Amino acid sequence: MTRASYIVAAVAAGALLVLLPLLGSGYIVYLANLMLVYIVLALGLNILIGETGQFGLAHVAFYGIGIYTTAILTGRFDVPFLIAAAAGVLLAGAIGLLLGYVSFRMRDIYLALSTFAFGEAMQWVYRSWDAVTNGPNGMRIKPAELFGFRIATDHDAYPFVLATTIIIIAATVWLRRSRLGRAFRAVRESEPAALAMGVDVRRAKVIAFALSAAYAGAAGGMFASFSSFIHPDSLGFTETILVVTMIVVGGLGSIPGAIVGALVLGAVQELLRQAPSYQEILYGVILILFMMYLPKGLAGAVGNLARRAG
Amino acid sequence: MMGDWQVYWLFLQQGIASGLVTGSIYALLAIAIVIIFKTTDAPNFAAGEIFMAGAYIALYLLIFSQIAYVIAVPVTLAITFVFSALFYRIVLRRIGVSPAVAVNVVIATLGLSFVLKGIVRNTGFGDVPRSFPAVFGADTVQIGDAVLTTQDVAVFALALLAMAIFFVFFNYTRTGRAMRAVGMNPRAAALVGIDLHKTRMLIWGLSGLLSALAAILIAPKILMTADMGIVVILGFAAAIVGGFTSLPGAVVGGLIIGIVENLVGLFVSTRAIVVAPFIVIMLVLAIRPQGLFGGPVVIKKV
Amino acid sequence: MRRMKAFALPGLIAGLALSTAAAAFPIKAGQGTYQDPGITDDTIKIGLFAPLSGPARAYGEDPLNAARMWYEMINEMGGIWGRKIELVIEDDRCTANDLVAAVKKLVEQDQVFMLNGGSCSAAAVAAQEYVLRNKVPYVMLNASGDGALYPPTDYIFGGISISQRAVGGIAVDFVVKHFNAKKIGYINHDDAYGAWNLETAEYMAKEHGVSLSVESINPNITDVTAPMLKIRAANPDVLILTTYARPAALILKRAHELGFKGPIVLTVTGTANLKQLVENVGTKDAFANFYVQDVINDSPDGPKQRWIIDMYKKRYPDLAAKPDHPTPYMPYGVASAQTVTHALMLAGPNPTRESVARILRTLTFESGVMAGMISFGENDRAGQESSIFLKFDGETQVLQPGVYTSRWTYKP
Repeated sequence: MTRASYIVAAVAAGALLVLLPLLGSGYIVYLANLMLVYIVLALGLNILIGETGQFGLAHVAFYGIGIYTTAILTGRFDVPFLIAAAAGVLLAGAIGLLLGYVSFRMRDIYLALSTFAFGEAMQWVYRSWDAVTNGPNGMRIKPAELFGFRIATDHDAYPFVLATTIIIIAATVWLRRSRLGRAFRAVRESEPAALAMGVDVRRAKVIAFALSAAYAGAAGGMFASFSSFIHPDSLGFTETILVVTMIVVGGLGSIPGAIVGALVLGAVQELLRQAPSYQEILYGVILILFMMYLPKGLAGAVGNLARRAG
Repeated sequence: MMGDWQVYWLFLQQGIASGLVTGSIYALLAIAIVIIFKTTDAPNFAAGEIFMAGAYIALYLLIFSQIAYVIAVPVTLAITFVFSALFYRIVLRRIGVSPAVAVNVVIATLGLSFVLKGIVRNTGFGDVPRSFPAVFGADTVQIGDAVLTTQDVAVFALALLAMAIFFVFFNYTRTGRAMRAVGMNPRAAALVGIDLHKTRMLIWGLSGLLSALAAILIAPKILMTADMGIVVILGFAAAIVGGFTSLPGAVVGGLIIGIVENLVGLFVSTRAIVVAPFIVIMLVLAIRPQGLFGGPVVIKKV
Repeated sequence: MRRMKAFALPGLIAGLALSTAAAAFPIKAGQGTYQDPGITDDTIKIGLFAPLSGPARAYGEDPLNAARMWYEMINEMGGIWGRKIELVIEDDRCTANDLVAAVKKLVEQDQVFMLNGGSCSAAAVAAQEYVLRNKVPYVMLNASGDGALYPPTDYIFGGISISQRAVGGIAVDFVVKHFNAKKIGYINHDDAYGAWNLETAEYMAKEHGVSLSVESINPNITDVTAPMLKIRAANPDVLILTTYARPAALILKRAHELGFKGPIVLTVTGTANLKQLVENVGTKDAFANFYVQDVINDSPDGPKQRWIIDMYKKRYPDLAAKPDHPTPYMPYGVASAQTVTHALMLAGPNPTRESVARILRTLTFESGVMAGMISFGENDRAGQESSIFLKFDGETQVLQPGVYTSRWTYKP
């Protein structure tokens, strides 16, 4: 693709995003909000799995930390929404840092399964710690207030959710080009080589964990801005796997890939709802076909096309 | 009235005895997971659903076609063997097998798990929890203060027997040794003339067969639903405790998980049973990052 | 009737176009003008939803079919005040995010007049804020939904099959009266259902001055040795199980193996298929002293249930041929749809969302399906709070005297 066509595509996408709340019903805007949350989740997991090559499978646990922290601080302590959401990001990041530190020595399948176990344990905590999370009853989330403006509907929340997503995408692009981003990719390609190049492998891995968790925490805050309820059932391994699928279908290690993956799978899931009995079969077949014929994801396929065309 | 210590002593005996029985099934599942991982470099996320499908095939043959056990069981095992082998042949061979595409394999197996669940749900048999007609009676057997049924004892014995057969197969037969060689070093195995794809296909078939066997053994104990595959998480837990690449480790891991579940339920809280395996995984990996029976961590990529 | 519009596959673009069109040209009624969406001179649109895919499909599909057949029957009889009921069906997948998406689609895109749906309590609770803000009358399908029923709201009605808060209290009431139990063993789940039924079980135990030993387990449990052993060690006079069907069968089996002799009472949460339950437990001996709770007005094959089973078989011959169909939950869907049609009928020829909700708040009627009247009232948004008990010996069910009604009330 030429530079001009990129700009045209970006302008078209931007126009659509800005016009969406004018054109769409609350349902469409709600889906848009959810998809933006998934984009942030996918970008965060992509830092860990795609960029750094670390198979962390506890992503949704950190998302939960973001949601519950925001909900508890605004609901019980009347903390302003933005401060509460920021606290959620910090707490998720801090616990991610800790998890990264503890699991530094693990790799491959061991890392995948220990983080998976951590995710399951956290879901159990959400379900069982009645005094804090209200346990299996689920927890109501107080409508957010931003700059004195009360967010009551999906339309109200959309500008905030969209702006946050854009800021996070920009930060991710910047991060990718930074020294740290290069260190992440060096670790992914070869740890010994990274060491030889003077990269502090341990530091890079731990930071990748913390950053990825902080992204999930931010997604939690975004979710809390437009959603009025959270239940531990929504924070299980199926959600983590959905996000993993998004970044793989989009193309591991690619920022546009993570974004497009989140959008495509979000749309597929919503469309499949119209064929309930065959939904699981169709979804399964779609995943298998994607892996068979587009192993590098949508980003890889577009890259190939572009190379062939150019 | 029994004293407290007597109650706890009883709890301990019964907890361990019952834990060994369920643990032996986790061990079978763990073996199915480990042999795939060793040769395919990726965990099989459809292991639970292949297990579930195996149970439903057996159910269909036994109950709805009224076929005798002696025929229905081998037919079930054969179907799952062929199906799993074909999945490797058609899907995974195209995706490829290497750590670099491990995540693609994971998602493809995940896709398979959705397909299988969807199919079973559409048959209408998947809604109500079901069981097979019992082969072994529900007579009770007293071991110390613990009570088991003949069925429990038979499940445990058959699971051990199956594991012993596998052990002999992997160590003393030509095909079994070829499979181990592929697991240890595929390039070297190829050099000595082992057909990698054929061996991997066989391994997938065997893993499917093993899952179906576990399903037939455990279905009367945990009952079948379209979502029974979730029990395979405990197989993963067993595998990781055992080191993920070690077959004896998988067996020990399975028994440990089975016992820990019961002891946590008895001495901590029944609410904590479900989280116990995950705590065990985290503890084991925090202390030994390669599992109890795994070899030392080596840095592969250079 | 328009056939299942929801099953057509609209593209995302079509969806967008639809919503813009809906916004640009507000629906105009033929002759009358209506302040609420979803109603014209000859149609009224109802959003019907349930989990139609995934693990919870078994709980939602047949109640939804039942509701649909009731609405179709009403249409064949000429509709309500001359209006045909138009259904828009959605799959809520039993998850909070999907149920909220379905509800928002039905309200804003399909512009339904009111909502009828939901088989999963936690997910149904998630839609509460939205439904209340938009003031759409919402009758749950077969979700207990206690979390959205208490504290009571003006627009949300549930517990049509039974509220979980009624289940626990009634079970304790029954065992105290029937067995004169002083020490009660109680195994529930660690989920929302379990939390709700335990709350009233504890309330009634206190009321009667009896003790309760509780073990909570996860619905996915594989080995029930620990909870059953602990219950046996507590030596209760009677054991109440409020678990789902699978754990219930495992516990019954274990209880028998461990020699637990006291009566066992299984609440409606786990009684789906008693014939299969016996097969799953493996021996009839385990049912020597066993009771089940039910919330319908007769044993499932009894004469009072006949009309509804016949109606289902006539309406869905293909489904009725499938194994285990109709499911035991099927009749609940009729009671739920009745709640909607009765309220619409009583609201008169020119219903508004507000007037229908007002009728619902005090609606009481006999469904001919459920154990007790469907009845709402001040501080009470749970429709059905009664149940019967049957002694089941592994073959036959014998109705026990008396209908037990929950004595727990919400106190603001």
